Order: sequence, then structure tokens, then C-alpha cells
Amino acid sequence: MLVSTRKAILSAGLLVLCLASCAQDEKKSHYRIVSLSPAMTEILFSIGAGDKIVGVTTFCDFPEETRNITKVGDFSHPSIERIIGLKPDLVIVNLPEQSRVKRELEKMNVRTFVSSPASLSELYSELSALGAELGLQKTADSLVSYIKDNLQAEVSSEPKRVYVEISPRPLVTIGSATFLNDLIHMAGGVNIFADLDKDYPVVGQEAVITRDPDIIIVLHPEDITGRTGWQNVRAIKDGRVRTDLDPDHLMRPGPRLVRGFKQLKAAIND
Amino acid sequence: MTKTALIIIIFLAAIAAGILVGPAPLESQILQLRIWRVVLGVFAGGVLAFCGCLLQGLFGNPLVEPYTLGSASGAALGASVGILIFGAINPALAFLGSLGVGFFVYVVARIEGGILRDRLILAGVVMSFLCSSLVMIIMVMGGRELYEVLYLLMGYLGTIIDATNRTMIIALIVVSLVLAALLYRFHRELDIISQGTETAASLGINIQRFSLILFFSSALLVGMTVSIVGAIGFVGLIVPHVSRLLFGPKHRFNLAASFILGATFLLFADMLSRTITVYELPVGVVTSLVGVPFFIYLYRK
Repeated sequence: MLVSTRKAILSAGLLVLCLASCAQDEKKSHYRIVSLSPAMTEILFSIGAGDKIVGVTTFCDFPEETRNITKVGDFSHPSIERIIGLKPDLVIVNLPEQSRVKRELEKMNVRTFVSSPASLSELYSELSALGAELGLQKTADSLVSYIKDNLQAEVSSEPKRVYVEISPRPLVTIGSATFLNDLIHMAGGVNIFADLDKDYPVVGQEAVITRDPDIIIVLHPEDITGRTGWQNVRAIKDGRVRTDLDPDHLMRPGPRLVRGFKQLKAAIND
Repeated sequence: MTKTALIIIIFLAAIAAGILVGPAPLESQILQLRIWRVVLGVFAGGVLAFCGCLLQGLFGNPLVEPYTLGSASGAALGASVGILIFGAINPALAFLGSLGVGFFVYVVARIEGGILRDRLILAGVVMSFLCSSLVMIIMVMGGRELYEVLYLLMGYLGTIIDATNRTMIIALIVVSLVLAALLYRFHRELDIISQGTETAASLGINIQRFSLILFFSSALLVGMTVSIVGAIGFVGLIVPHVSRLLFGPKHRFNLAASFILGATFLLFADMLSRTITVYELPVGVVTSLVGVPFFIYLYRK
């Protein structure tokens, strides 16, 4: 009597468990992606995989729909536990910043897709690989040709010298190891700190003043025109300080590069 | 007399080097920047070393300085909060930080009729750790503010001067120099207190009140320095030792020499920080790199 009651409870319990897991299978029926790269999040939306995203970083703020997606941490320190908890089929990681996260995920047999485009051609091949991975080859290829068609290099015999200021205290600019550096060259300019083989180096005021840029692109909200010692910098004298460019358009290798590039070309050549 | 002449000559040499040596050829725009850097260097180095000398004399402890007493870290915390909230350093928050931490340290170290000197450092170091973790939280929460907080923590003289901060910086410098000059007048009392608190009490000095005034005035001075150039370590610790080695224990000479030597030290450190790499290093990196071996050498001698 006692034994059969136990059996009954046990089988009832098993049934509940089975139902629960079936329900979960139902939910899992579609492919689940966690994107740890703001640029890749934008790309996923633009190739029609936005509904597959179940987790993003707090840095992923475009398009609007990302607002309602679970956040797994910031760009440099996403939480492995939160990622695993979302049971992703694929996690998109950005290298080199997230190499530790990638290792951890691989240890737990989670599939990762690496994004670390250092140039436009690398971005194109990454996009087709992603399209193949998700079965969205067609839309991925059309995004590639959209970017390709719109990012045509300007040929300039006398490139304008451009200084990009990311932050004012201390002065942070861009070195040659950035996408924006290449975009400036394609738009007919030359980054005055292209000789620094870094991504975002801290430089001194003296260095900026002696390199005397023709154009200054300010990517933070502060006004730079009243600075002591900067009065004779060519860009300031000529009034060629641009504050209207959106850093997200210029620094995220994604679909909005096209708009960023147009603004950049206008800023350099007008 | 010759020693005095010597440190003044070295001080003038440091000013000249601060203006003449740098990554860019000297022209009028660059000159303006270098003059500002020299002004900030003289002010910050002088005030920090002066405070260190004052506190070391007051508490009779060679390890006391704005850093080990926690007020520099408190000011850095206040300034970081300002960066996070207002996007810029807010001096009032920096004072609040340095005075707040100073108050806590003082309460912990205070006993009936005086201050426990060992407990003072302990409380200061503990509070510094607390401030560091809070600053860390701010650094993680902030995005582009991260660099600014980092340079604030190590100190930087190459900050941009424009209409938004010029008046404030000049005002802070003037106020702190006046405050330092007022504190300098207490050199006799400091001499007596460093002989021993009992002697001082028997000579009619109200030690409790006296240390309270000096302690919080120096915390305020540190708050002002940090809100302009960030928290620069080692100047307040090692410079007073050098000054004592040269001029003996009398605070009349010691405080003044600390100011001049501190300014000199920071000017040379800043000159190195902007020339040894193509990047701009925080000046605190250099003061520690130079300061630590120098300190060890002094104590082995």
C-alpha cells in the first residue's frame, strides 16, 4: 500500500517534470542568440534575425527594440551566468575584449561566433559567415553590398588633417587601430594621430596643437573652442570644429556606418 | 644660507625646465600651456608637501600625509561622484569627500584628551580602501568617464583650461595659498607640539582645538588640490623628510622648504611625464616611480 502510494507520487512528479521540460522545449523551438557586441546586435536586426536575440549588453542600445531584451552585463564584463541562464544556441563575442568570456563559454560547450573586424573586408566576410550560420545568407549578402556600394573611397590629392576627440579630460583620440581611422582616410582625410599604433591613445594638448589639424571632430558634448593655447589651431581659426557627428555611426562597424561615412565625408570635404 | 640658496636655484631651474622642455617646439600657444602647467605644478606640489610636513609635525608620525590619512582618497571619491553626476569635477563634492573622510578618521582616532597616533593611520588606510572600492563602482558604472577618473586617481597637470574652469581654478589656488600662509603662522606651536604633547599643554596650547583646526584645514587644502589636479601621491610623504634632513626640525624653515621642494619635485615629475612617452602619463605615475627608490635610499642612508 505504502509502496504503491510512493510510486504514484513519484510518477506524478515525473509527469510534472516531463510537462515542464516539454513546455520549455516549446519555448526553445526557435534559435536563441545572445549578442555581446553592439555592432552585431544592429547587424542582426538589419538582416532579420532580431527576433532571435534573447540577450544583449547594456551597450547595445540600437535599434529601439533592444530596450526590451534581457541585459547580461556591460560590454567588457558580461555575466557568464546570465548568458548561460538564457540557454543560447549561439553567443556572439567581440575579440579581443571578450576573449575570457569566449573561453568560459566554450568550456561549457556553448557555440560562439567571433566578431573582431579590423577592416571593412573583414567585416564583409564576417557578415557572410554570420548569414551562413543563421541561414540568412541572402539578407546578409544584401547588407554587404549596401555597405560596399556606399563606402567608396574618395581620392584626395591633398588629404585634410583630421583630429578626432573622444574625451576631453584627459584628451583621448583615435590611433591607427580603429575603424574610424580607416573611414577618415576613405573620406579623403588623414588622422593626425595615425602614427600611434593604438586604438584610443591619451595624448597631450601640445601634440594636438603642433600637429595643427584642419578639421576637428568632437565626439563628446563639451565646447572646445575657448581653450587656452588652442586659439591658433587651424581648425579653430577656420571654424571647422564639427560637433554634430554621432559617435555610434562612426565607431560601430554595422549598418549605420553608411550614414556615419556620409556625415564624415561632408565634414571633411565641405 | 647656502642650502636655502641651493633649493631656490633648483626650484628656478625646475620652473625653467617646466617651460622649456616638452614634446613640442616652444611657441606662443605652447608657452601658454606650459605656464599653466608650471602654475598648477607649483601650487599642487607645494601645497601637498606643505600639508604633509604640517601633519607629520602635528601627529609626530613620519608616515602621515594626505594619502595615508585618507583625505586624498576621500577627495578623489567626491570628485569622481561629481564626474559621474555632473560630467565634471565639482570642488564642493571633493571638499565634502576629504572633510568627510577626515572627520571619520578623526573620530576613530580620538580618545579622551587627545589622539591615538597609530589609530590615525590605521583609520586613514582603512578609509582609503573604502573610498577605492566606491571609486571602482563609479568607474564600472561610468562609460567614457573611466579615463577621467583614472587620471584623477593618479593626478594630471595637463588638464584643459577654458572659460568653464579658469576662474574656479584661479580662485581655488588663491584661497589655498592664503590658507597655507595662515597655517604657516602656527610654526612655533608645531615646534612645541612635536616636542611632546605634555610640554605643549603645560605651555597653554589647547591641543585638542589646535589639532582639529590644522587637521581639517589640511583636509580642505587637499580637497582643493585634488579638485584641480587629482590625487597625486608621494609628494606629501617624501618631501617633508628631505626638507627635515636639510633644515632640521624647526617648522619655520621646514614648512617653507617643504613647499618649495614639493613644487620642484612635482615640476620635474611632470616634465618627465609628458616627455618619456608619446602619450601623456598621469604625473602620479612618475612621482611614485621616482619617489619609491628615493625614499628607500633615504632610509638606507
